[in-house]
Amino acid sequence: MSRSAALAGSLLVAIGLAIFAWKVLVLHLPVLPSDVENLWRVELEIDARGSGQRGSVRAALPDSDSQQEIFDERQTSDRLVFTVRSEKGGQRTGIWSGTFDGVHNLTQAFRVQLSEQPLPLPTEVGLGPPKDVVDAYMHSSGRFPSDAPEVRDLLANIAPANPSDPLGQMRLLLGYVADEILTASTGSDDALLTLAAGEGSQVGKARLLVALLRAAGYPARISAGLRLGAQREGREAVWAEAWVGGEWISLSPSLGFFGARPPDLLLLRKGSSTLVEETGLDALSSRYRVLRESLRADEVASFMVPSNPILAAISLYRLPVGSQSALRILLVFPIGALIIAVIRNLIGVRTFGTFMPLLISLALRELPLGLGLGLVGSVIALGILSRLLLERLQLLLVPRLGVLLCVVVLAITAQSLFGRTYEVKDLYASVLFPVVIMTMLIERFSITTAEEGLPSAVRRLTTSTLAAMCVYPIFRIAALEHLMFGFPELVISAMGLLVWIGGYNGYRLSELWRFRSLARGFEDESS
Amino acid sequence: MSLASRLRAIGVLGMNRRNGVYTSRWNRRAHYPSVDDKLETKRLLRDAGIATAPVLAVARTYSEVRGMLRELDAYASFVIKPAHGAMGNGILVVSERDGDWFRRTGGQWIDRRALAYHSQSIISGAYALGGQPDVAFAEERLSVHPDLRAISTEGVPDVRVVVYRGVPVMSMTRLPTHRSRGRANLHQGAVGAGIELDSGVTNFAVCDGRAVDVHPDTQQAVLARAIPDFERVLEIAVRASDQTRLGYVGADVVVDEDHGPLVLELNARPGLAIQIANRAGLVPRLEEVDRRVRPEMHWPERIALGREIARRARGGALQ
Repeated sequence: MSRSAALAGSLLVAIGLAIFAWKVLVLHLPVLPSDVENLWRVELEIDARGSGQRGSVRAALPDSDSQQEIFDERQTSDRLVFTVRSEKGGQRTGIWSGTFDGVHNLTQAFRVQLSEQPLPLPTEVGLGPPKDVVDAYMHSSGRFPSDAPEVRDLLANIAPANPSDPLGQMRLLLGYVADEILTASTGSDDALLTLAAGEGSQVGKARLLVALLRAAGYPARISAGLRLGAQREGREAVWAEAWVGGEWISLSPSLGFFGARPPDLLLLRKGSSTLVEETGLDALSSRYRVLRESLRADEVASFMVPSNPILAAISLYRLPVGSQSALRILLVFPIGALIIAVIRNLIGVRTFGTFMPLLISLALRELPLGLGLGLVGSVIALGILSRLLLERLQLLLVPRLGVLLCVVVLAITAQSLFGRTYEVKDLYASVLFPVVIMTMLIERFSITTAEEGLPSAVRRLTTSTLAAMCVYPIFRIAALEHLMFGFPELVISAMGLLVWIGGYNGYRLSELWRFRSLARGFEDESS
Repeated sequence: MSLASRLRAIGVLGMNRRNGVYTSRWNRRAHYPSVDDKLETKRLLRDAGIATAPVLAVARTYSEVRGMLRELDAYASFVIKPAHGAMGNGILVVSERDGDWFRRTGGQWIDRRALAYHSQSIISGAYALGGQPDVAFAEERLSVHPDLRAISTEGVPDVRVVVYRGVPVMSMTRLPTHRSRGRANLHQGAVGAGIELDSGVTNFAVCDGRAVDVHPDTQQAVLARAIPDFERVLEIAVRASDQTRLGYVGADVVVDEDHGPLVLELNARPGLAIQIANRAGLVPRLEEVDRRVRPEMHWPERIALGREIARRARGGALQ
């Protein structure tokens, strides 16, 4: 290694480690993620547009209850006035009001600790509902047509009244709406239409269930919230709640739960399915951003509002949730580059394309390794097969690559459909699958087969796969993600290590094998 | 002694060191186009009076492919190549023809359309180093020198000379085999035979990493063979490397039956297998060149220096 490369590398490594050490030893920032379970940061982003008129935007605010604990609420109001209104029954609503002129970017953020504890069903089922609950949640209405003859008939058919076992009757009603009515995002929101069609939206099914519950004599209402998961955008969910034994229990005909909410469900709004609404505006769009936290609240605070002013100015924890989740992936990339450099320059393994393994493993990061390799493998196998058939058509290069790209896109589409049929969740959700990389991989594999023979091509495909398998874990290790996100200065150290590898002039591991006969002086082969 | 330290003792050049110390220092990026484009190399060498394989026809666009094939109607055998190909990829050798049917080496017959398709693939960049649009050209098919005919099958053997700072440091001949499908690539199964620079005689040979005495197809001895016209081979290799202004070059020379030694192509990233074929490391020779070469030396002096270094290296004086 040249002295300047060694020096530059050492300097970079030292700078990164020095900042890291200062943050850990002096500022006491936590290096490892804590074992927090089911702690989330949720951020509602609203773009509201008006042209000088007065108006308001209202968003449901969550409350703490036995299954969720809300804290650390914050909002930005962008020239408007923000107030919180508390309704009877505990529902809070955040209201931005004032003169809307141009686009206003409003946010409302909070952290929530969801409980994993199973909640027992109420036992005192004989307890009658108080008068205010009866008044608010028992009557028949357009949305909840509990007096409609088809609702009455259905109730008599599937679940005749059974005063001794209200929970059993509710279970029967839930079972009917959950199993006999299909859930379709294109289905109706109306209870009666849903019943007639045998198919409805989440809202339609929840309303039908509420109507049935009210017809059976239980106070019932609709509730809405978010399902929190690996996806960066929270998915809205709507379900029913029924009053029994002195409390509200949850029943979901779409997600299929009874009694307690599942541990990934956040309750935002009671008594309505609307989360965000407006009056007097020209346009409104909103989305919920969701991020799983890896630190306890006090630890997050040490990153967000550190005692040191310089650090406070550059803390990534102060960024909006959307940017944070993007950066969490981005900051792991240098580690991937480091591994690729080790594989290629120190071990000396040849792969198809320099950073191809890195991009493939990025795309697969949300899938288990075996499933991911199976998916990619089947796409590549199909592509190679198509390439063999295409060879006979003697197409020119760019159109041929285009056809291969179409095959890759179709294969991925087919896999998604297949995955949904067999409920293997969203296979390619929130993943921009590297179709171009896959196409080039297929083309290179075919050319290598033609030029150097199948064994050589298979060998390189195998080494590429192994390289991808080496890189893949880095996108899944929560501790590494936390480390790089909390201490981005380590990227400088990674640069230093890369400079070291770049300056290494010694043998690659594979060359020891390649030149082994030279080292042995051919003594065992010479005849 | 560990494997690595034994290789170090022999002075075997590894890929990292070749890239990090030799090619990055002596081969400036700006001079690569003159060797990466084979037509450009030919122009450069022709201007300097160095013989190269004659070009029969060139097609730069799809529409020129028909014209190129029409010009080739006058020839019974030829080779179609990409100007920017690497490692012999995209080369199609026609050894015989019957009207619109062409026989490739290896025995496969293809028609005119397949030939046109191959040429168009070349132009669209299928074989180019970076996938950029390329040029297809047809070259005269060279014929194997009688002295080497017994030890090459299905293709034309060449002589690779590594020239460092204008000094030839190591050389080998690459003999095609049936398994290499007529190609002169060692990793595809061709025989590599090390040539003593001072005598021009082969003294060691490998095939698939194993020492061999005879050609695997013909069973004729590959050792102690004198390369025909080796003086001239070294001369054009060294003078060609001077033209490129690259300091670390692999020159591929073919000794044609009729034309004598011709430069086939030049390589700015020559492979390291030549060390296996010579049972010797490059590093001691490269370092000796660094100590002894002077800018004012002419090519005959540099060839003499290279031969002397090679002889001393073989005697163990440099290790």
